[in-house]
Amino acid sequence: MMHYIVRRMLQIIPVLLIISFIVFTLVFIAGDPVALMLPEDAALEEIEQLRESLGLNEPFYIQYGNYVFRMIQGDFGESFRYGQDALSVVLERLPATFELAIAAIVIAIMIAIPFGIWSATKQNSSIDLIATGAAVVGKAMPNFWLGIMLILLFSVTLGVLPVSGRGSIAHLILPAITLGTGIAAEMTRLIRSSMLEILNQDYIRTAKSKGIKSVHVIYKHAFRNALIPFVTITALQTSTLIGGALITETVFAWPGIGQLLIQAVNTRDMAIVQACVMIIAAIVILMNLLADIIYRILDPRIKLN
Amino acid sequence: MKEPFIHIKNLRTYFHTEDGTVPAVDDVSLSINKGEILAIVGESGSGKSVTSLSLMRLIDPPGRIESGEILFEGHNLVDYSMKKMRAIRGNKIAMIFQEPLTSLNPVFTVGNQISESIIEHQHKSKKEAKQLTIEMLTKVGIPRPDRVFHSYPHALSGGMRQRVMIAMALSCNPELLIADEPTTALDVTIQAQILHLMKELIIEFETSILLITHDLGVVAEMADRVIVMYGGQIVEETDVFTLFKHPKHPYTKGLLSSTPKVHELKEELVPIPGSVPNPIDYPIGCRFADRCALVMETCRTVHPELIEVKPGHLVRCWLHERKGEGT
Repeated sequence: MMHYIVRRMLQIIPVLLIISFIVFTLVFIAGDPVALMLPEDAALEEIEQLRESLGLNEPFYIQYGNYVFRMIQGDFGESFRYGQDALSVVLERLPATFELAIAAIVIAIMIAIPFGIWSATKQNSSIDLIATGAAVVGKAMPNFWLGIMLILLFSVTLGVLPVSGRGSIAHLILPAITLGTGIAAEMTRLIRSSMLEILNQDYIRTAKSKGIKSVHVIYKHAFRNALIPFVTITALQTSTLIGGALITETVFAWPGIGQLLIQAVNTRDMAIVQACVMIIAAIVILMNLLADIIYRILDPRIKLN
Repeated sequence: MKEPFIHIKNLRTYFHTEDGTVPAVDDVSLSINKGEILAIVGESGSGKSVTSLSLMRLIDPPGRIESGEILFEGHNLVDYSMKKMRAIRGNKIAMIFQEPLTSLNPVFTVGNQISESIIEHQHKSKKEAKQLTIEMLTKVGIPRPDRVFHSYPHALSGGMRQRVMIAMALSCNPELLIADEPTTALDVTIQAQILHLMKELIIEFETSILLITHDLGVVAEMADRVIVMYGGQIVEETDVFTLFKHPKHPYTKGLLSSTPKVHELKEELVPIPGSVPNPIDYPIGCRFADRCALVMETCRTVHPELIEVKPGHLVRCWLHERKGEGT
């Protein structure tokens, strides 16, 4: 197991290098950062001086080499907007993003597991129709629209929850529901379809023929098998949430990485953009690794090697 | 004299599909005696497996037991609630299946799956159940049972898995073991071992067996009595010696001549022509008529009844009905 984890960790390095190359190239193509850093009427010598001091006159590969060298030391450059080290700006935002992602996933799981199982065990019943119908609607609603509707209802009309920002649990509720709804819909459908498939397996017939309680047949014999794809998808979903809650964070002014990334792109704060993308990439890769490890723990047929 | 302890009377199990109703089991009556091995033989789709699943009340929608009685210890299982049925399943009537790999849950250990029935039906503690499980594994001839207890099914060979299934089925000392094609998925050498083991164990456990198979070799090896099914109905029922020596129904004869025999290597195998009729639209007459070499006018128009031609020998065929009337 340890051997496997170490080997997978080592594989992360080349992946991050490739990502850093792509990000650096895109930023390089995007244009001259000096133009944004200095006022429009800056003197030519002044511009040239800054370019020289930032190493922007060097050829592409030297600049990339320097970038990677600094990145390894944890230096992603300085954000001109915040006037601080880009990495620390990004890391400051991480807890907020994690908080929202975990809350959304917890909500999604709490909805998806019971409804997924109910609709599979009572296929074509009214519960199944309601659950699958709700899942289609939940999946189809765009996050920005759902977020705005929830704000209108709970914050503007009823006035029971705050409109935006972060602070108390109350602040977390609306963005977590907004983000969790789509995921809950997808998870419900996943659990339903894998439970339906599993309930037709021979070993379920064996379990029934042993005379054990149907609760055990469903929750022990069937659901334990359905967990294998479910946990994998959940781990991958969590990683997407951490990197991808851009819209929800923007709608609710939630001070997470997504909001930071959008602002950084708008203001062309390239140090922040690069740091954000690298951190998100690292988290996605680690969550993938976690998913693989859990997958192998849940399914004894797969050996770690 | 062995006495019957299970009576199935006029059982009908139908599947209501979108294309129409499939009478998978159509008016089947049979009884199983204590300590006996009763084999049900037939092609795929003859209703043999559905009969055994009906006995366990394990028919899922769109299937349904339409009518009939399943009398076990004087009670009609068809009227039992699912809760009462659970006390029968795995406890008084246990089952083993064709494919031991897919019939065992891949994510639980062998020990967990066997002790589960023991804990459920015999109300033992986990520790006692483990002890009993290891005893059962030893009885079915598994080497190093305490290690196999912690193994997952995929780590065992096909023969070992079927031994595990047998251990699981016999763990609560059932009165009837339903074995649905227990050796079909196994290698020939392993088949012989498993059959031998089952024979040994039923003497030790005093269990009866309902053996579902399409393999006449297995029937000859194991069975005391044989029921031949075709198109959801019993077409012949007799003891195993009579079946092989004096089969009456043309379908039984066809089955026998399409099976290779060791002593008659030179004899050509004769396949039964045609295939099983569409169950949604069975002919009004004999269901075997279209494939029968001896078909007569009556066969196509009137459905034959199951007639006792000799004590204990029942046949559903117009040829024998006529003879029966004459003598």
